[in-house]
Amino acid sequence: MSAPATSIKGRAFGDRVLLALVILLSIIMIAPVLWVIGLSLKENAELMANPNSVFHAPYTLKNYINTIGTSSVFRWVLNSIVVSGGLTLATLILSSLAGYGFARLNFPGRNILFVIVLFGLAVPEQAVLVARHQIFSMLKFHNTYHGLILPGLSASFGVFLMTQYFRAIPKELDEAAMLDNAGRFKIFWKVLLPLTVPAQATLGIFTFLGAWNDYFWPLISATKKDMFTLTVGMASTQTNFAQSEGIGFLMAQAVFAGAPILIIYLFFQKYIVTAVSGAAVR
Amino acid sequence: MRMKTILLAAVSASVMMLASPGFAATELTVQRFFGACDADFGTNTDVSKAVGECGIMTSLINKFNADNPDVHVSVTTVEWPGYDQLTAQFASGDAPDIVTIHESVLSDYQSKGLLLPLDDVLKSVGVTPDAFTDAARNGATKDGKIYGLPIDSWTMLYHINMDLFKQADLVNADGTPILPKSVDELLAQAEQFKQKTGKPYFVQNLANETALFTRNLYTYLFQQGSDFFADPKHVKLNTPEAKKVVEMYKTIFAKDYTTKGLDYGGAINAFLAGEGGVQLNGTWVVGDYNAQSETNGTALNKGGYAVYPYPQLFDGAHAQYADGHTWAVSAKEDRTAEQTAAIGKFLKFFTDNDFDWSRTGHLPAVKSIITSDQFKALPHRDTISAVAELGRSLPPEVERQFAIQEIIGEELAAATSGQKDTDAALADAETRINELLANL
Amino acid sequence: MADQLTIRETAAPAVGVRVPSANIYAPQWRNFVFVAPFLFFFTTLLIFPLFWGMWLSVHKADTFSTGRFVGLDNYVRLFHDKVFLQSVWNTFYFVLLTVPTLALIGLFLALCLNRRTRTAAVLRTLFFSSSVLSVTIVTLIWRIVYIPNVGLLSTIYGWFGATAPAFISDPSLAMIGIAIATIWWCIGLPMMLFLSALQQIPQDIYEAAALDNANRWQTLRSITLPSIKRTFILVIIIQIVLQFQLFGQAWLMTRGGPNNLTKPIVLYIYDTAFRRWDLGMGAAASEMLFVLILIAAMAQYLVTRNKGDQA
Repeated sequence: MSAPATSIKGRAFGDRVLLALVILLSIIMIAPVLWVIGLSLKENAELMANPNSVFHAPYTLKNYINTIGTSSVFRWVLNSIVVSGGLTLATLILSSLAGYGFARLNFPGRNILFVIVLFGLAVPEQAVLVARHQIFSMLKFHNTYHGLILPGLSASFGVFLMTQYFRAIPKELDEAAMLDNAGRFKIFWKVLLPLTVPAQATLGIFTFLGAWNDYFWPLISATKKDMFTLTVGMASTQTNFAQSEGIGFLMAQAVFAGAPILIIYLFFQKYIVTAVSGAAVR
Repeated sequence: MRMKTILLAAVSASVMMLASPGFAATELTVQRFFGACDADFGTNTDVSKAVGECGIMTSLINKFNADNPDVHVSVTTVEWPGYDQLTAQFASGDAPDIVTIHESVLSDYQSKGLLLPLDDVLKSVGVTPDAFTDAARNGATKDGKIYGLPIDSWTMLYHINMDLFKQADLVNADGTPILPKSVDELLAQAEQFKQKTGKPYFVQNLANETALFTRNLYTYLFQQGSDFFADPKHVKLNTPEAKKVVEMYKTIFAKDYTTKGLDYGGAINAFLAGEGGVQLNGTWVVGDYNAQSETNGTALNKGGYAVYPYPQLFDGAHAQYADGHTWAVSAKEDRTAEQTAAIGKFLKFFTDNDFDWSRTGHLPAVKSIITSDQFKALPHRDTISAVAELGRSLPPEVERQFAIQEIIGEELAAATSGQKDTDAALADAETRINELLANL
Repeated sequence: MADQLTIRETAAPAVGVRVPSANIYAPQWRNFVFVAPFLFFFTTLLIFPLFWGMWLSVHKADTFSTGRFVGLDNYVRLFHDKVFLQSVWNTFYFVLLTVPTLALIGLFLALCLNRRTRTAAVLRTLFFSSSVLSVTIVTLIWRIVYIPNVGLLSTIYGWFGATAPAFISDPSLAMIGIAIATIWWCIGLPMMLFLSALQQIPQDIYEAAALDNANRWQTLRSITLPSIKRTFILVIIIQIVLQFQLFGQAWLMTRGGPNNLTKPIVLYIYDTAFRRWDLGMGAAASEMLFVLILIAAMAQYLVTRNKGDQA
């Protein structure tokens, strides 16, 4: 009887250690953000004189008012939405079609093509970037939305994911329809596509977040302020604190830039979480 | 009747629409560094109210837009120095019309035929090359033509917190700061400063910084008469002269005579908070610092702010590294006559308003302003105007000066912090620069 | 789930009735239509630039002028460039710093937060939230943590009268500073992947273990860890590929300094091609990055395949 008792006691102690660790990690997660919010609510002059002033009043919304009044951050958010949204939609369409094609249909050269597409997974964006930039220069694609969206369409990840997902769907589901000689697109659209919603969500969220956070390509392609995405725009103001409107303003701008996606995340987190988890299923 | 009115309205509307391009302002795209400060100056057109590089630049362009309803300038602010972006823009054929370029960088773009020679444009608005100071004109002239409208000459300065200098007993009877005349004096004064104030003598931005190291090295090499760029395609850095400079910086670093780990913004904050005696920074902060010193309760208000050229520490001719900012114009084939005229107006405007720009602390590029009483009456110009004669730049034939600056800065930072041996750092810097220049 | 079941039920009987009359899986050209749109973009925007890049890498090409053929010169220069070699090492060092840490902390969090309490749900949300931020915001946040004077770290150290470590300027700490910011940013994904793997483990195994009086450590070692082995490898692969492409954090936090100690390969490419205008050498460096990632991917593929066979 005594053995279980000690193990429960040990368990309680262990739980407490784990809890302490998790709490510590959460503090590390949240403290920098709180610090940024704190700084954004202070006058620049006061901050420079004494950083500890973050911990007491007076607080001010001046930095936010200035951000709303003058910063291009809205335009950048809009650009990011257009680019990320456009890329996500296009990726979902292309990947679903190709995934279905590779998983369910046969055509000459299918296997070798699929291997080549898989090989595309190993090609980092940066390896083709120099050449891509030259090509886009010749086509005058820089500083346009399609110039920002197109490169993302060549990524194989979505096709890989969708192919795997389509393969995992039992063949019995569409074989009957195929034998009935129903149109392949109709089968894809009516029978299989509705089943792939979880995978679509996963892919969509990965693509959207990837595009939202992309920095390298927009950095060299979007070189006009009006075409900056949020990442490039934020970077353009941050490197030299002294050359900008002060730390408080920058922090307000950061909060402004970070807030929309965080709010979206909080609203849709259930779906996002299931979607991200969905990637692990297969 | 009714039909007729509608028709008439439609016709006149379409005429209006067709004609409207004629009424529309000519669009010019301007790209600049100097920071963003739209919150304070976004709509300000009264330039005299603005302080600092960013404020004055923003207000000047606002004023230009207000004064010239037929031209509309849209501004892109880039992070300093903005050349990565500019290169990418040129590569993609999307360059802005007018862009800030350092005199030391002009030849990089000019040599590729990317810039418009400005002589004709300037002539059409009545600006002749002899309007500019020698330094500015020489800096902006490549192959006998002007490739950028010079707006200033700038250099690095000793920005001094007089309150701390007083505490350190480094003040002459007349109230001026005592500055060193040799390396040994510098180290002795820095030691004295540290003993008396408990603070470092220098406030430097050494964190991931390359420009400061390089400018300092150039300055002290000039002061020793070292001709390290005798051949513009080949640098000589592994020299006793360079070693002397690096050793000096090593000592300053090792003995904690300087702040460490501060980036550019951090160094400014630290100096304004009274964390050290001398900040090494450019002409561009004079206006801002002077404004601070006039604000009650600031560290600079306590004992005053003074600013001086770099002291002569070696036995060569007194000199220090200088450069200048210009407005360069991209070469574009499809530019209309209206656009070229608008560019002329813009350049003329900046020539005419160079005094306001010189309030930042920069030396004006326009001769009549540098000699004007109005300029001389600005605070601290009595001590810093000397840099007009002291300023020296690298030979104009040296290309990729910003890339070189980075290499030197990286290697010197490593040597200064003791991460790398002095000889090895200088040898590596030399090899890397020569490799770069050999493969242009 | 419910939808899936209904479809399965309606579709299943049909299978039994019909006998395949023609081979519906025979190769047919018209099926190609489904993959064609993707392959178009894949070819024009990935394969073609890949070969174009190889072509560039054997040319002396400048951003503004067409090059001449120089053979392997660019590669020779590349391997004589101390900065390039440094950047290769930096990249590996960064991967080594981040990937195991991400996997282990991610696993730890997943194990702790895999419960149905409200607190666990809130904490899961919290730990994933940083992942949705863009790199520029993350670096802004962390620079504000690290910078002297106004920085969070220096403020905290200041309370104890100590000087905070200079995470973005000290040569030995700079990469660690970037790694910390990266782990903070990326921890959500590994955690989520582990969580979903943990939820796949059938509960009855645990119930059986509980009946056997297995302690927590035993349960973890003999049930939990073996069940998520595949996920563990997946997490490692994803993270290696992601972290190998380090760019934004290094560029925005340290510019690759001090003295190139935090310059990763991607930043070297950017530097060479877009800042030094040496397009040919930049392309050569791109090819090297490509080869390295290819090797990593192959190694991972072989490892996972072997593991798969054993299971």
